[in-house]
Amino acid sequence: MTPERFSRQLEQFFGADARFADKGGAQWEVRIPRDRCLPLLSFCRDHSFVHLAFVSAIDWIAEDEIELVYHLWSYEHRVHVLVKTRLEREKPWMFTAFRLWGHAQAYEQEIHEMMGVYFLGNPDLSSLFLHNWKDRPPLRKDFDSRAYSLKAYTLSGLGLAPEDEEDANVPS
Amino acid sequence: MYLPDGYTTLDKLREAGEMAEYDLFFGPNHPGMHGNFGYVLTMIGTEIVRVRPNAGLLHRGFEKAMEGKAWAANVSLIPRVCVPDPDPNEVAYCQAVEKLLGCEVPIRGRFMRSITLELSRLGSLYMGMGGLAGALGHYSTMYLMMIERDMILDRFEALTGARIYHIYNVPGGVRNDTPVGWLDSVSGLLDHIEAQMPEYDRLLYENHVVWDRLSGMGPITAEEAMASGITGPALRATGVKADIRVDAPYAAYPEVEVNIPTSGGGDALARAVQVRLDFAESVRILRQLIARIPAGPVHADLGNLAKLKVPAGDAYSKVESSKGEFGYYVISDGGEKPYRVSVRGPSLPAGLYLCHQHLPGMKIDDVAAWMASFAICPPDIDR
Amino acid sequence: MEDAVLFNLRDERQSAWESVLNYFRKRSMWMLYYCTGCGAIELPPSMTSRYDMERFGMGPMATPRQADLLLITGYLSVKTLKRVIYSYEQMQEPKYVVGFGSCPINGGIYWDSYPVINHLELFMPVDMSIAGCMPRPQAVLDAFQKLMAEIQDGHAVGYKRYRKHYDWYKRNQDAVLARTEAVLEPWEDPFSDPALVESLWNDAPEEIKENREVRHDA
Repeated sequence: MTPERFSRQLEQFFGADARFADKGGAQWEVRIPRDRCLPLLSFCRDHSFVHLAFVSAIDWIAEDEIELVYHLWSYEHRVHVLVKTRLEREKPWMFTAFRLWGHAQAYEQEIHEMMGVYFLGNPDLSSLFLHNWKDRPPLRKDFDSRAYSLKAYTLSGLGLAPEDEEDANVPS
Repeated sequence: MYLPDGYTTLDKLREAGEMAEYDLFFGPNHPGMHGNFGYVLTMIGTEIVRVRPNAGLLHRGFEKAMEGKAWAANVSLIPRVCVPDPDPNEVAYCQAVEKLLGCEVPIRGRFMRSITLELSRLGSLYMGMGGLAGALGHYSTMYLMMIERDMILDRFEALTGARIYHIYNVPGGVRNDTPVGWLDSVSGLLDHIEAQMPEYDRLLYENHVVWDRLSGMGPITAEEAMASGITGPALRATGVKADIRVDAPYAAYPEVEVNIPTSGGGDALARAVQVRLDFAESVRILRQLIARIPAGPVHADLGNLAKLKVPAGDAYSKVESSKGEFGYYVISDGGEKPYRVSVRGPSLPAGLYLCHQHLPGMKIDDVAAWMASFAICPPDIDR
Repeated sequence: MEDAVLFNLRDERQSAWESVLNYFRKRSMWMLYYCTGCGAIELPPSMTSRYDMERFGMGPMATPRQADLLLITGYLSVKTLKRVIYSYEQMQEPKYVVGFGSCPINGGIYWDSYPVINHLELFMPVDMSIAGCMPRPQAVLDAFQKLMAEIQDGHAVGYKRYRKHYDWYKRNQDAVLARTEAVLEPWEDPFSDPALVESLWNDAPEEIKENREVRHDA
């Protein structure tokens, strides 16, 4: 399949919603608004892009948006397609893709925990990776990992020892 | 008391509703568990009814940590994503960075990448086969395979100075050229491996216990495997001829002949056999690489790597590891650090999704062997 | 036996009885089969034929109740810390803790990472630390031999320290594990509001709505 043919088909089904770009090196990119994203993923799956490699989420804090990227691969055409959709950062949500690919459920669960994106229809968005997490989702750009670590895992940060006595406080 | 074939007292009690379900924690502290990972199994008797994966015990926040380190400094962090098979991570990340930089790796550097990748694959497959043998109770096979793996680690130590985390690939190529006589020592190692392999075949693959235990366990069709993100040996064991070394060639694989082996059946036995076929192919590829490696530089000149700046953009790069597709999605905003690095590990689809399909109905005894047959490696699930 | 332990808590000198006990303890150590982190990758080579840990009388043990040695093989995420403490408290005394690599000492390469603790000795008594990433099998075996010498000399008394300062350790463990407040700033998930989720469902297209209430593992 040539990029021209794929982009023509996209235009036929999705009109101006889908913006296609050839990134070179057998990687294509399609940008799509949220409401049309699931139909696009379904369209891609029916057009030989059967392998969902994974889903990644990027926090574009300057633009106040969170971007979801679905990585699809066609075993037939040996082409990688990145389906990108942008969500508002305040209340990011997306339809779940687990009816298309079962393992998308696990990726969405992870993104929900790490980035705070809600996936409508996902059966299990419970916490999987973090223990008793009460802070901002850690992969958000405004979460400071270093400040967290120093405050959460040192005695002085926990308020259990004065700053200068931390080492002396380990019993012997 | 007469019971029809296959109908146990357990079934009778279950039908009468007299058998209670209970939760059993398989892992994280369990000798059959590969790494620090757990399944909470809801059981009736010894049979699994439901499963809940308990992941995240190895979560280290890699993706966040990488945003805080310089482009080249991240190379020291990423081999830790997958401990038994670290080199695919380094190569995938470096390739993504090189794609953004638009830089070309010298041909000898690409050969060295392929050689380290294949050596790492051999080591990891030894560990996989040994782990499978261990899960089935064949500890002596595992003990022997660990020695072979250690010899590979010795070669890595001579080349890179480290046994496990080599940190050998850097953006632009590899760190250093081979020491004198290193390639010959790898050739000698391959001779040894090929001479030893029939013994392991006899111990593991010609063993009735292994065949009987593994056949029919965790079956998966080609369509299911493709639709659930399974890659690598587990996908090829369903008969699909898919390998990133051929489908999206990288490093020095275009320069050599790669004959992707496949096997059919899709059950745990097919996956175990597929691993053995991959192993043989890997040895063949290594021999070709060593025979054809040209002279020349191993590293492209990128200036001071510590101050490397990468043009804004995004790139996805993937590498065929011993377990399947390792992918790095790297995003740069033009600065000295990555804006975001997103990692695709090969174990997640089987470890977190297929377990819901396969484990219910299975006996508790088979869980470790099932995990070993899919080569589930928790560090790349948790990251 | 209890008396000997209590005696040693008051006074660091060994009784003759304890010195005999320690001689036997050091030659028969069972280590708990728990890979808490990446350092566990060097345990199979150390255990198997090439480096052969068994010649020192050490072997793996599946259950914490029968193990003497807990290996913290590398970084410890908070989630694992909870399991490790459970395992440690299940182990029978005398018991010893060995920290592998840089991460249990000071956090290592993950010192600024949010899910990983930095100083293991705040939460558990550590009898022996092996520096480096990763410690080679030779370093691992060397550390075990040093640990044996310490056991013989009566210096590896971390379990007594844990018992004596239990409140101190428990306080630190609870501060990390049983956290009730956010560390930096509290974060309210906007989607914990059912009304918002309901409104999203109402606006969803028909083909999406069909999938409501369908469980993937059913």
